[in-house]
Amino acid sequence: MSFPIVVRGLRKQFPKVLAVSKIDFSVSRGEVFGLLGPNGAGKTTTLEMIEGLTEPDAGEIEICGLTWSRNAQEIRARIGVQLQATSLYNKITPREALDLFGGYYPKSRGTKELLDLVQLGEKADAHHVTLSGGQAQRLALALALVNDPDVVFLDEPTAGLDPQGRRSLWEVVRKMKAEGRTTVLTTHYMDEAEALCDRLVILDHGAILRSGTPAELIAGLGIPSVIELAFDGTAPDPAAFAARLCAGVEARGDVWEIPTPDPKTLLPRLLLALESASVTYNQIHVRPATLEDVFLQLTGRSLRE
Amino acid sequence: MNEKTNMTLPNPFWLLWRQFRSEWRLYSRDRAAMFWSFLFPLLMLFGFGVIFRAGGPPALSLVRVAPTEETPRDRAFLKALKEAHLEVLTLSAAEAEERWAKGETTAQLESAGGGYRLRLNSYLIAQGQVAAQAASQAFLVAQARLIGSPEPERIPVVLESPGHAHSENYAAFLVPGLIGLNLLSMGLFAVGMVTVAYREKGKFRRLAVTPLPKWVFLLGQILQRVTVVVLQTTVLLLAARLAFGITNQGSYVLFAILVVFGTATFLAFGFALSSFASTVETYGAISNLAFFPMMLLSGVYFRLDHAPVWMQKAVFVLPLSPFLRMLRAVFNDGSTLAGEGMGLAILGGWTVLSFVVALKRFRWV
Repeated sequence: MSFPIVVRGLRKQFPKVLAVSKIDFSVSRGEVFGLLGPNGAGKTTTLEMIEGLTEPDAGEIEICGLTWSRNAQEIRARIGVQLQATSLYNKITPREALDLFGGYYPKSRGTKELLDLVQLGEKADAHHVTLSGGQAQRLALALALVNDPDVVFLDEPTAGLDPQGRRSLWEVVRKMKAEGRTTVLTTHYMDEAEALCDRLVILDHGAILRSGTPAELIAGLGIPSVIELAFDGTAPDPAAFAARLCAGVEARGDVWEIPTPDPKTLLPRLLLALESASVTYNQIHVRPATLEDVFLQLTGRSLRE
Repeated sequence: MNEKTNMTLPNPFWLLWRQFRSEWRLYSRDRAAMFWSFLFPLLMLFGFGVIFRAGGPPALSLVRVAPTEETPRDRAFLKALKEAHLEVLTLSAAEAEERWAKGETTAQLESAGGGYRLRLNSYLIAQGQVAAQAASQAFLVAQARLIGSPEPERIPVVLESPGHAHSENYAAFLVPGLIGLNLLSMGLFAVGMVTVAYREKGKFRRLAVTPLPKWVFLLGQILQRVTVVVLQTTVLLLAARLAFGITNQGSYVLFAILVVFGTATFLAFGFALSSFASTVETYGAISNLAFFPMMLLSGVYFRLDHAPVWMQKAVFVLPLSPFLRMLRAVFNDGSTLAGEGMGLAILGGWTVLSFVVALKRFRWV
């Protein structure tokens, strides 16, 4: 197995904050690799060091066996990058932007092919300002693919998009994977990471907390299910219930989350306890554990907090 | 593992041409930029040129009351008057009186008892006296011709405006001013503002992850701005020539050298200034601080002849002031740059300073 991306001991200190303390990982060929973490976890800084935009204070980066100090132009020719915010001229059209950027590279994919790939054929000659958020993001993605890159970096590709926009962007990422490209993406949406990533690392405060496939990470929790209880108005004191049930109760507003390896036995006991305490509740349901729960367990915080 | 493949990057000069072409295409779609670059200077030229069309130098004029019966002596006198470059306006006695009453006449020549009489307007005595002297000389010439004696030698009188303060039409004064204003706004806005906006919005970062050499991007942009300047200047010169008959009085080579010099100064000035702001808002404030004093005080629209001397001196330190003074010396007065050492030094100083600051402080992100 070859590793198009190898990162060792990456570190970056900004004047007031240690953005990345020590990060190591390798990405296999054709893999979609995710950097998952809350805002400020160091995802973008890590990505920008790999993309050559930010100079690391320490550590090594290899992209297709090349290094920034010796082969910068060759790396740039072989990577595709979608920045968190891709700024283009207001009055450029997608067709012109793809033609223009395509010219920067030794080889480029056809503009028409790319427009079709990201479903922008109808907007090919519209000015950039007139594109919707999702269309602009898809154009940014097409620009990242213009040079037929071996390795693609996507920084928060679906931030700020509506559900439909996110789905259509996911489609493009899956097509990229089918084309055999190696992809690294950052996200703070756990459902996105679960849906797209073959492997991922969970970052917080500039360090890796866990790494693995989404399934491995969730299995590592040891608690495959979560009981969610929604109260109507005020919730009772969770501590009393936690003691009585011998289970952890995470209160988040008027919603309780009770992770459990065995919902079959816990659920009847919970219902009984609620009834005997005469607590009224709105909804109750059992769901499988997600990466969100993994993050919560690792940090005690929710991803979006 | 090393997967080096033989990939040659595109020829930078081909890329430069593409960047240049793309910059022009996008620039031409920007209606505001097109207006301020091309239409606004023309509107200024036509607007002010027409309003102040009559605001040229005082001509040596003489109102001549038409004699009741024209004698050979009258005809000889009139011929001699015209040779003296006097603007002679022959009016009937009634018309002349009306004009005189309005105070528009500086000097009036009337027949009086077989001879002539000159009436001078005491309010315009300076012009009137010059006209009277020219008329007296013309009279002597006419008399000499009539009796066939040798023609007396005239002392030629030339009317000039020192310091090109009121040379010809106001439009002629305005043309170099507008060219200077174009250069200033090119540097401050088309270069400085655009640089700050690109940096703030991350456009430079997007380019930085491509193999496009940065110098190609910058040079493509600069070349586009330079061709805008060339076009603007050509359009202004043509419009001035066709509409107002204004032409460059001096050497076109010197004129071109000055425009190139100014372009370099204001380009660098824009890049230098852009390094002091990280947001478009901050830059807007900084650039207006530079723009308005120069637009108003450096002599684009009017001279500061009547301002206190210290102010004139202070303003001359700004880059646009010496630039406009030198451009007018060539364009309006047809002189060379001899004696403009101070102006050249100040403009050169700004150019060097701007280049140094721009090179030292320029940031992509």
